[in-house]
Amino acid sequence: MDSSDMTAGKPIITMRQVDKWFGDYHALRGIDLTVSQGERVVICGPSGSGKSTLIRCINRLELHETGEIVVNGELMDDTPGKGRDIGMVFQQFNLFPHLTVLQNCTLGPIKARGVPRAEAEATAMAFLEKVRIPEQAAKFPSQLSGGQQQRVAIARALCLSPKIMLFDEPTSALDPEMIKEVLDVMIDLAGSGMTMICVTHEMGFARTVADTMIFMDQGAIVETGPPEVFFTAARNPRTQLFLSQILSH
Amino acid sequence: MTPGTKRARFHWLDLVVLTTVIGFVVYVFYRVDSVLVYRWDWSVIPGYLFRWDEETESYAANLLVRGLITTIRISFWALILASVLGVLLGVARTSSRLLPRLIAWGYVEFIRNIPPVPFLFLFYFFISSQIIPLLGLRDAVESAGPNGQAVLAVLFGPANLIENFASGLISLAMMSAAYIAEIVRAGIQSIPRGQYEAGHSVGLSSREILRQIVLPQAIQRVVPPLAGQFITLIKDSSLVALISIQELSFLAMEIAISEQRFFEVWLTVGLMYFVVCYACAIAFGWLERRMGRHLR
Amino acid sequence: MTATLDDLGAAPLRPARRPRAWWQAPWVDVVQFLLLAGALFWLAWRGANAIDYRWQWSRVPAFFYREIDGEIIWGPLIWGLQVTLYIAAWGLVLTLAIGLVVAILRLSDSLSGRILSRVYLETIRNTPLLVQVSIFYFVLQPILGINNPLWTGILCLAFFEGAFASEIMRAGINAVPRGQWEASQTVGLSRAGAYRYIVLPQALPLMLPPLTGILVNLIKHSAILSFVAVFELTTEARNLIGDTFMSFEIWFVVGAMYLVITMTLSAGVSWLERRVAAKR
Repeated sequence: MDSSDMTAGKPIITMRQVDKWFGDYHALRGIDLTVSQGERVVICGPSGSGKSTLIRCINRLELHETGEIVVNGELMDDTPGKGRDIGMVFQQFNLFPHLTVLQNCTLGPIKARGVPRAEAEATAMAFLEKVRIPEQAAKFPSQLSGGQQQRVAIARALCLSPKIMLFDEPTSALDPEMIKEVLDVMIDLAGSGMTMICVTHEMGFARTVADTMIFMDQGAIVETGPPEVFFTAARNPRTQLFLSQILSH
Repeated sequence: MTPGTKRARFHWLDLVVLTTVIGFVVYVFYRVDSVLVYRWDWSVIPGYLFRWDEETESYAANLLVRGLITTIRISFWALILASVLGVLLGVARTSSRLLPRLIAWGYVEFIRNIPPVPFLFLFYFFISSQIIPLLGLRDAVESAGPNGQAVLAVLFGPANLIENFASGLISLAMMSAAYIAEIVRAGIQSIPRGQYEAGHSVGLSSREILRQIVLPQAIQRVVPPLAGQFITLIKDSSLVALISIQELSFLAMEIAISEQRFFEVWLTVGLMYFVVCYACAIAFGWLERRMGRHLR
Repeated sequence: MTATLDDLGAAPLRPARRPRAWWQAPWVDVVQFLLLAGALFWLAWRGANAIDYRWQWSRVPAFFYREIDGEIIWGPLIWGLQVTLYIAAWGLVLTLAIGLVVAILRLSDSLSGRILSRVYLETIRNTPLLVQVSIFYFVLQPILGINNPLWTGILCLAFFEGAFASEIMRAGINAVPRGQWEASQTVGLSRAGAYRYIVLPQALPLMLPPLTGILVNLIKHSAILSFVAVFELTTEARNLIGDTFMSFEIWFVVGAMYLVITMTLSAGVSWLERRVAAKR
């Protein structure tokens, strides 16, 4: 954590007793979670454990039924339009196929924030530089590789200067040789003091950047801790089993 | 072994097909020649296609060609009007509010479940007596100066038939809008959920998501079936002959009766429709293959 | 200002959903919709009154049936409906036969078969049904010596819908994955055997719902036959209007009759579709 940042350490996300159902299916069970400003959280767990649902509740892609979510001092209820200032990177990239890379990055700033076009384009180019693909700005997403597309998606999210970045399995849809280029960009970002919550199975990445590890199973948070403890001395047997399965190779 | 993938070769089926076709043709000739003793007279047809204009000393389009032009005109404007209405209805059908969904649903189901012919009769009655007088088309055309009238004549046909043309056009567009609405709805629903979520995550409101992300992509997907709808409209426009709109089929009926040349007139008219529709089908197919390749 | 976790821990939970205003409930939309529909009917009614239209709804039941000396005499609308259903039923049988033949020719290796089916499909697709009806009635009927306009009409509709039926059948067969053909070859089945035991059992459930949809289209398109004096529902309606000048009542009633039949059938089709989808 960047200790020179005066706001570091203050809670930016608090979730208390959050429950979420999809019909009869109990997707989140009594989630209690606090994330401080600048904290890097990595969430892992078996599929269907509620990891994605948890972060999607934070930026209101899903609405929770009971409990309280407060982000940056704002109560997250079902008012439309909440959670739009939180950056999100999706597993399937979800770039806009009918827009160029540059237009993908400037659409939000221009249409949602009213930033002048020239300024938005300058910002976008700066972030495309940061994710190391400025030369692709005029291309359409379908002309890029998966790794490049995901880096565009990261730049697109950063263009809105979000306080929080959410990553929903950003490398799961990528061919193995492209995973590293995306993780490198994420590691850079972590070094800049951004608050990040990543759902990922990349445990090497987690060891490098995470301040806090979270293990989820069946909709509940089973174990929380700093990576040094989490990877070596997990207390819960389900965590131990999961770790032994994904780390054994 | 998958059917239809191998190269065609001579096959026992060819024998069956050829025998049947040749047998049918021979039978038709025999019936026409020996039983009906029908004397073909194709000479009346060219005169109805083009006529020699004494005043300008040149050939001018006569009834059948003029009818075909009216058919194309009416289909074109009906397509424009129906597309506007159809996009609105299609968007309404995917709205998150119940009321617009109900209205669009009611309209689409109403049109799709009543056969076109009774609908046209019912509707024509209403349009020609209620809506057309309200529009004041005749006055509008007459007040349009000589140049304006010339332009309007190219776009909408002769001034004395403008009300007749408009009622056919509106009826046709109302029918077509229901089908276009379904095309648009399918286009919108084919946009993956991730696109909405990405739109939300870059800060756009639902309105902006629809305008900036969903509609541009949906419309690109909808253009090929919409072009196909133009061919459907050319074909369906023949129905407005039943409410005395003076397009190709209507004039064909009149000429066939007045000349008592049913064989020649209907075969010619069938061929005219075929040429136009088939040419459109080929052109649209070619355009579709050329356009929008980068989207996949 | 941001609260710390300890402050929050003590504070009561705030609700995740705001209470909904009563005007956001779905029934409000339904009521609005009904009001709108009512307003439309009122406008149409006023429009009719504006041209001094004399409503004679009391005469309508007689168009369905009359009771004379305790005996029920069916009226013209019932006769017309019967003819329409007769056309649709026989039309469906012929449509399926034509569709099957054309689909087989299209999928065959025979060159002339493919050409013939192609010519048929393009001709049907690129000419209006009205022109097809005219050609069947004014050209083919005398040439082939059919002396019953009703059957000319049924034949014409069957040729028209047959093009769609053949497309549905072809699409159904093509939807069975290539691997199934290859697998049937490896277990020693002939092409006919592959069709019979492997492909058709998988393709038929896919074809069934859209083929039922053809019945709806047959009923809708049969109205065009009123143009050549086949005495189906629309013709009867037009004749009644000619006799009584009750255009609005009769078109409303006839429209409603079509609406009820086709919507019932459409509901049946979508029920079938759901069942087929659920089984897969």
